[in-house]
Amino acid sequence: MSTSTGDRNPPQDTSSGPGGSASSQTSNGGYNTQRTGQGAQYSDELDNSEDLVSEVEEEEMPEETEEEYQTKQAVLKASLPFVHQYGWTKKAIVAGAESLGMPSMVHGMFPRGGAELVFYFYEESNKELESFLKQKVTELKEKDEKIKTGPFIHDAIETRLRMIIPYIDKWPQAMAIQTLPQNAVQSWTNLSRVVDDIWFYAGDKSNDFNWYTKRGSLAAVYKSTEIYLIQDRSEDYTDTWNFLENRLEDVVSAGHLARNLQETNTVLSEGAKGFCVMTRNLLGMNNR
Amino acid sequence: MSIRRISQRAKDEKTRKLLSRIIRVDQAGELGADRIYAGQIAVLGNTPVGPIIQEMKEQEQEHLETFNKLIVEKRVRPTALLPLWNIAGFALGAGTALLGKEGAMACTVAVESVIGEHYNSQIRDLMEDDPEKHKELIKKLSKFRDDELHHHDTGLEHDAEKAPMYDALSQVIKVGCIGAIWLSERI
Repeated sequence: MSTSTGDRNPPQDTSSGPGGSASSQTSNGGYNTQRTGQGAQYSDELDNSEDLVSEVEEEEMPEETEEEYQTKQAVLKASLPFVHQYGWTKKAIVAGAESLGMPSMVHGMFPRGGAELVFYFYEESNKELESFLKQKVTELKEKDEKIKTGPFIHDAIETRLRMIIPYIDKWPQAMAIQTLPQNAVQSWTNLSRVVDDIWFYAGDKSNDFNWYTKRGSLAAVYKSTEIYLIQDRSEDYTDTWNFLENRLEDVVSAGHLARNLQETNTVLSEGAKGFCVMTRNLLGMNNR
Repeated sequence: MSIRRISQRAKDEKTRKLLSRIIRVDQAGELGADRIYAGQIAVLGNTPVGPIIQEMKEQEQEHLETFNKLIVEKRVRPTALLPLWNIAGFALGAGTALLGKEGAMACTVAVESVIGEHYNSQIRDLMEDDPEKHKELIKKLSKFRDDELHHHDTGLEHDAEKAPMYDALSQVIKVGCIGAIWLSERI
């Protein structure tokens, strides 16, 4: 094993999991002898991928091949129907794998167990949301209409939350899994994706700190509505959509409040300055 | 023996991360530079060196607008530390300007030399990644780098090296800039 590539391997091995790392060791073993041995014809390609690998220092690089990725996606997709029976757990993944005719040991490809299933579902739903938003924007453009931010955002959140409804019986478990510390970062990334997509397609053009306030407030609205949704018993969840509307109005009025406060602040400080000037004049100090 | 090759998906992800990082830190840098010049003008605006600083500030403003547009176009997250750089830049500009015209010029020289090197390493990274795809951006960065080096030379022409404690001042500012760059690439 050449030591130069040895430095880069550890971060990648941990991220691909037991099944992944087993194969990565053999192929990296092969890769190393190729490089230091006679594999001159391959070393150029590998040189490029090595440089790509060396770019990312602190972040873990997903060292899976395309086929590993596709296999995992297929298994997770097949596991979703079993969630109602087994919850968001390894059992569901095993059941899904077996339904595709794969050995149950395939669950080794998913070191985070049920969380992988939750993330897969979340990411697929995000993709669906993105195509819904794209389509909506194209439709509005064709009709030459302007995007009305309020209703657009409401529809976007409603659409996204409705994707949870088929799994709502087990969604509280999914939410709990997402709050575990080892899953917190990925959950945060997923949520940021949702709010970033919604604001982007709603036409947000902010490039300063507003970028953060807009997404932060929308994330709070989304999360609180999600929590409301899982305990809602109304017909077609109409109570949830009313709750959502109220939360969105809160955000809008908070924005107005912030602006009012700023204006009030200006008025007050101008008033205070005027008062100081008046005092100085009265005291005859205005000839300093 | 199978050869593990990085999947296209992962490669695209790396490019996206690289671009994000570059645009984010450049926007922060240009805002910082703009604010530094604003601070210097606040103190030295009415002196003979005022118009020169004003001209440099306007060029930084142009750069900033370019990156503001790129942030929206490429869907890049701006750095969360923007308000901090806003205040810190102004403070640095005003602070060094209080040391006199030489102090202000020394600050300019230090900052611009760090930024020049930084742009160069970004251009290198982009060329390494995909020179064809990033051609536009590389051209823009090259032009900005040339502008910044021009500012650097202007600073030297106007007696930067005569500033009090030039070496120490220059070092401190350079280290500060490098730290700010490191932070804004990530946060």
